[in-house]
Amino acid sequence: MSMDKNFPGSLKIPAQDVLPTCSAACPVHTDTREYVQLVSKGDYEGALDILLKVNPFPSVCGRICHHPCESQCRRAAIDEAVSLRMIKRFIVENTREYRRTRRKKPERTSQKSVAVIGSGPSGLTAAMDLALLGYGVKVYEKDTKLGGMLAHAIPRYRLPAEALAEDIEDIVATGVEVHSGCCVGVDKSFEELKKENDAVLIAVGLSESHSLPIPGTGSKGVFLGVTFLWDVANRLYPDLGESTLVIGGGNVAIDIARAAKRLGPTKKVYMACLESREEMPAWKWEIEEAEEEGIEILNSWGPKAILEKEGAVSGVLFRRCSSVFDDKRRFSPTFDDAETNLVEVDSVIIGIGQKANLDFLGGSPVAVSGGRLQCDIESMGTSEIGVFACGEVMTGPGSAIKAVGTGHEAAKVISHYLETGELLKLPDRKVLDIGELPAATADLARRFERVAVNLTEPSERIKDFSPIEPVYTEEEALSESRRCLSCATGAHLNVPNHCAGCLTCVRICPFGVAQVRRTAIMPPQQCQTCGLCAAECPAFAIDVLRFPTGEMKKAMQESVSGLDFERVARPFLIAYCCVNGTTSRKYLKEQTAGEISDSGVLRVLVPCVGRLSMADLLSPFELGADRVAVISCPEDGCYYPRVEDWLTRRIKRTQKYLDQIGVGGEYLRLFKMEGSGDESWPKIVEEFRAVDIKAAVGH
Amino acid sequence: MIVADPKPFLQVKGYLENFGKVLIVGCGTCTTVCLSGGEAEVQILASGLRIAFGKDGRRKAILEDCVQRQCDEEFILPVLSRVESEGIDAVVSLACGVGVNFLADRLGKTPIFPGLDTTFYGAGMQQGLWAEMCAGCGSCIVAHTGGICPVARCSKHLLNGPCGGSEKGRCEVDPANIECVWQLIYDRLKRLGRLDELRNLMPAKDWSTASDGGVRRTTREQLYELK
Repeated sequence: MSMDKNFPGSLKIPAQDVLPTCSAACPVHTDTREYVQLVSKGDYEGALDILLKVNPFPSVCGRICHHPCESQCRRAAIDEAVSLRMIKRFIVENTREYRRTRRKKPERTSQKSVAVIGSGPSGLTAAMDLALLGYGVKVYEKDTKLGGMLAHAIPRYRLPAEALAEDIEDIVATGVEVHSGCCVGVDKSFEELKKENDAVLIAVGLSESHSLPIPGTGSKGVFLGVTFLWDVANRLYPDLGESTLVIGGGNVAIDIARAAKRLGPTKKVYMACLESREEMPAWKWEIEEAEEEGIEILNSWGPKAILEKEGAVSGVLFRRCSSVFDDKRRFSPTFDDAETNLVEVDSVIIGIGQKANLDFLGGSPVAVSGGRLQCDIESMGTSEIGVFACGEVMTGPGSAIKAVGTGHEAAKVISHYLETGELLKLPDRKVLDIGELPAATADLARRFERVAVNLTEPSERIKDFSPIEPVYTEEEALSESRRCLSCATGAHLNVPNHCAGCLTCVRICPFGVAQVRRTAIMPPQQCQTCGLCAAECPAFAIDVLRFPTGEMKKAMQESVSGLDFERVARPFLIAYCCVNGTTSRKYLKEQTAGEISDSGVLRVLVPCVGRLSMADLLSPFELGADRVAVISCPEDGCYYPRVEDWLTRRIKRTQKYLDQIGVGGEYLRLFKMEGSGDESWPKIVEEFRAVDIKAAVGH
Repeated sequence: MIVADPKPFLQVKGYLENFGKVLIVGCGTCTTVCLSGGEAEVQILASGLRIAFGKDGRRKAILEDCVQRQCDEEFILPVLSRVESEGIDAVVSLACGVGVNFLADRLGKTPIFPGLDTTFYGAGMQQGLWAEMCAGCGSCIVAHTGGICPVARCSKHLLNGPCGGSEKGRCEVDPANIECVWQLIYDRLKRLGRLDELRNLMPAKDWSTASDGGVRRTTREQLYELK
């Protein structure tokens, strides 16, 4: 939901109830902006903390999330969305040790206990939340491995077992009691569970494939999708013959087809679905990758019969599907029997959708109708008091992250129930977002290409189930993180009664965003956070939320106050460095007093040095610096138009002023990085420290 | 708006050689808008003074403040009490001359120094450029000149122009930067269809409202109470 039109310019920041579009689109409202900003500052551990706050499955999501955040990224209006999933994956793969150390087992503070049936993303999320709330939690999983569909239905080339294990280890570490290999309804009755616990959560997902009501489905060589994927995940590779046809057009069907291809790289794999190419429910990028791997997609065909020869599959007979949906977008396929197609294959895998296995509820009072668990979406309760449901068994087919979201909600309602004996009606799940980036602003923004990774060559990747996507290098992750617009964390009138309405902000804003209506307004939906207005505001009434220079000054003061000036190597140089130039976090880490003293250099990192005011340029001299270097982006590297020009003028004025003061303007210099910050910063500061300025200016 | 420019740094520093605790007071109205006396300039001057005196090996307390307007009592009361309570030795005002005077009248034994040179009543022509528009003469004549003031904007303050120094619409005093205001008046009256106005020679102006008779005062009787 957007608030752009209703409240132009009135959005207050920080707005807890108005989210950037990325966070709003995420089912668990991950603070995307924050973790990306932390990455850009080299704080990968902090970024992991942000991820784990709302999502116990960041490793899984870093691999397979369908990333609604990216689909809603406002940067797409400028060039392309920020590669958020890849940044997430970078974070989890570079903080493994830290992740282990941050685990802690909460104290059990309640005598009450909850049984969770199913260990998919929803069940485990709820289990962890409840454990963290102090309840006893037991998870029952019919399989030997935890993870539900993540463990069995997602092929390993997309989600390696180790990635899933990282997430699950975290969850189990909270003290959740795991009963794997225990099938409720077989090894333990549902009634027993109810009796032993104060609440039961059904999170069994949709673990069984639908079959098709057509002749031939009982033939040898016909497989059900989920069963097939389970077998593949457990290395029980079925014989598919020389050619296979997968029926279905969704993401699971794609997984099946791509897994089938990997069982026989030289063999023919088809996919056939009712939908046209544009209507296919699978993600566009998945379809493209499948085709790259040689999978042939047959669109707009409805299976009429599976043909057999001597009891084994010989082919599938299709008829043309003329339309899939009716005029109200309801699933209601129509067919043209006059047009048929016979595809000769040795095996068929049916991947047209899943259903829940609710056999364990047989004989219990929990209502099931038409094979579906009856569940109230608001309270997540079933027909039986104390029995709740979450995940796909409640919502129908969805994503892993959506399941995580319902897991959190389930924990909330169950905890409420355990404490009060009453059902909690969850509030409306809709959130406000800040709306699209206006085209007028987007047009003025500079374009920066998204950091792409190369998947393994299709001919290579179909040979086995090895992961096909490389993780970002540190340099790539840092670079991509800086493409984030950090929406709605830009300039704002920090001290409104200081604003004299002088119009400087309006006239200097390179994006045409700032306005003055009595006082200045920088609509946060539009502001691109360059900070020029804050730097030039004569009343110092504007601050940039993302990077308050006041705090920078304080931090600089603290660093300097910890120094013993007798020991500091002279000349002592303070270098303002544009953070956007770093390729590793080597120089992003805070320096120790010893490091500063020995090197004679204090680095102050600024996300664009263009936001340094004249007072900011003077303050290092006040703090005792002998020289001040301002190191900006490489030529054309700045994210913001015209910043270099304004910065150059500001530095010239400051240099003149330093001449008057008696310091000498030569002691402040503007440098441009050549190449990365990691390469050029040490060179620049050393060269500047080595210059004999007195001799150079003839003092 | 009143426009003022920063005084040379060394001049201001010179005023303060003998004072240990100095308060720099900015003004949040005109001089903020013309970028010479707001919060930012207060910080810049204070920072400069600390660095400069520090280089001379002298430590002085340079304190900072900024009020909404230095030309009204209520706004400067906090400054006055600060001067008193914090034992300020000298004040530098970054207001126009009005603010400096107004504070000086109320500062008792504490000296005050101007940090700015007040220049004119002007308008912002573009980012970073202001130009004089009014001379505050006390009897406005622009009704006859298409709203454009020759008193303020003619280099000679001619009431019946232009003079011979007007060439191609520019003023001979500084052709690159100054337009001949009488050309502007002519063009404007032409656009207004009122060129006839120029046939009426303007009589000698009554300057008594400008500077004659001592300090000018003005009252609003509905609010002003005689003391």
